[in-house]
Amino acid sequence: MSANNVKQPQKNLPTGVKGALVGAGASCLVLKAGSGYGWMLRPPGAVAEDDFLKKCLRCGRCAHVCPYDAVKMGKLSDGLAIGTPFIVPREMPCYLCSDLPCVKACPSGALDPELKDPLKTRMGTAVISEREECLSIKGLRCEVCYRACPVIDKAITVENYLNVETGRHAIFEPVVHKKDCTGCGICEKACVLERPAIVVQPLQPPTESWYES
Amino acid sequence: MKVNRWTTGRRCVQILMLLLLATPAFGWTFFEGNLGAAAIVGLQLSDPLAALQILLLTGTLTATMLSGTAIVVVFYGLFGGRVFCGWVCPVHLITDLVDLLPWPKRLSSWSLEWKTTALIVTVIMTVILGIPVFETVSPIGTTARALTFGVSSSLIIIVLIVIAELVLVRRVWCRSLCPLGGFYYQLGRFSPLVVAYDTAKCSHCGECRRVCFVPEVLAPSLKSQRNMVHSGECTRCGACVGICPEKALGFALRNPFER
Ligand code: SF4
Ligand code: SF4
Ligand code: SF4
Ligand code: SF4
Repeated sequence: MSANNVKQPQKNLPTGVKGALVGAGASCLVLKAGSGYGWMLRPPGAVAEDDFLKKCLRCGRCAHVCPYDAVKMGKLSDGLAIGTPFIVPREMPCYLCSDLPCVKACPSGALDPELKDPLKTRMGTAVISEREECLSIKGLRCEVCYRACPVIDKAITVENYLNVETGRHAIFEPVVHKKDCTGCGICEKACVLERPAIVVQPLQPPTESWYES
Repeated sequence: MKVNRWTTGRRCVQILMLLLLATPAFGWTFFEGNLGAAAIVGLQLSDPLAALQILLLTGTLTATMLSGTAIVVVFYGLFGGRVFCGWVCPVHLITDLVDLLPWPKRLSSWSLEWKTTALIVTVIMTVILGIPVFETVSPIGTTARALTFGVSSSLIIIVLIVIAELVLVRRVWCRSLCPLGGFYYQLGRFSPLVVAYDTAKCSHCGECRRVCFVPEVLAPSLKSQRNMVHSGECTRCGACVGICPEKALGFALRNPFER
C-alpha cells in the first residue's frame, strides 16, 4: 500500500455537520426528483404503498426466490423506489406460485405473511384500457386474455351481445371483475396486441386529487 | 515484496463474500438477500442498522428480523464491530483495491468522526423521507443488487466514491462517510478481540501505520506505551500484524470495559 502520512484528525465537527447536511440535502433532491413515477406493481402480499416503502429492506430476497424472475428491483431512475421490488407483467407476470416463495422469503413483513392462498393476492386489477384496440371488442374471437387468466370465469368473463355494426354478429367482450382479479398480469402478458389492450392498474385510486395543492 | 498473510487471507474472505452475494445470480439457492437481510442455508440474518431504520419507521420488527439482528450484533460485538468493514463489505474491497492504484491523491485526511454524524443524518433522513434511507441508497446494497440484478444507474454512487478516493481524499468513504461504518464503530468499541503490542519488541519503525487505513488508532497506543488498540475504528484487518518486522503485533482478548 502507498505511503501514508495521515494527519491527526482535528475535531472539526461543525464542518462535518455542514458537509453532512449538504450531502443529505443533495440526496433528498435526487430522491424527490425521481419519485413522481406514480405506481408500481408490487409482488404478492405487498402492504399499502406507503407502508411498503417503509418496511421493505430492499434486500431483493423476493426477487432472488422468484422462479420466473418476475420480480425486478428499482434503479436510480425509480426515485424513492430505488432498490424496491416490482413486476412488469409485459416482461414477466407473476404466475402465482402455489407456495408463494416471495412472500415466504420476505423478512420484513413488506410482503404480508398472512397471504397464504395465491388466488387471494390483490396486487392490482386488470383493466381493458384500450377498448378500441381490443380484438374481441372489435368483433373478432380473440379472448386470449380470458383463457390465460388463472382465475378464468371469475376474474375475467366473456359477455356477449349483438354487434350493432353488422347487426347480425355477436361481440364477445372480456370483462374484468376486480373482486376476483389477483393483478398477476398474466392477461397483460398474454394479450396478442403489440401494445396490450388489457393492463394491470392500481386497485385503489389515489384518495386525494393530484391537482389539489 | 513480503507477503502479508493477514492481508492475503482477508482478501480471500472478501472475495468469498462477494461470490456469496452473487450466488443468487447463478441460480444457487443456499443464499438469498444482501447484507441488509439474508438467509444462509435457512439461517436468517439481518443488519442491525437496517432493523433500526425499519423499527423507527414502522414501530415494529418481525421475529425474523429481531432474531437475525441479535445474531449479527453478538457476532460483530465479539469479533470487533468494524470487522464487518474489513472482512465482509464489498465496498471496502473495492476501495481497498482502488487504494492500491498508484494515483496521486491528497493525503490529508478527513475526520473519522464524520461517520457518526453521517449515521445520525441517515437516521434523521429516514424519518423525514419515510424510507429506510441507508438500505435505499447505500453503495453496499447497490453493489449487492448489481451483482444479482445486473449493472444499473444506481452504481453511480460507487463511481462517485472511487473518483473521490482517487482524486480527493484517500479512503474517504470507509474512513469518514459510511454510516454503517459509524454504526459498527460504536459496536466495536466494546469488542473483546483487539490488536495488541508487545511493547518490548516494537522498534517504532512505523510499518504498521503505513499499512493501516485508520492509522490514527495505532499512534496513541504506540506513544503512550499502551499495549492494545482500543479504538472501535480498528477493523481487525490484521494488516499491521502481518507487516510488523519485529513480530510485535498480534491479536488478543481484552476486558471490553477496561480502558
Ligand atoms: S408468486 Fe411466484 S411468480 Fe409470483 S412473484 Fe412470487 S415467486 Fe414470482
Ligand atoms: S423480500 Fe421483502 S424486504 Fe426484501 S426486497 Fe422483497 S419486499 Fe422488500
Ligand atoms: S391480472 Fe389478468 S390474468 Fe391475472 S387474475 Fe386478473 S384478470 Fe386474471
Ligand atoms: S388478449 Fe388483448 S386483444 Fe385479445 S381479447 Fe384480451 S385484451 Fe382483447
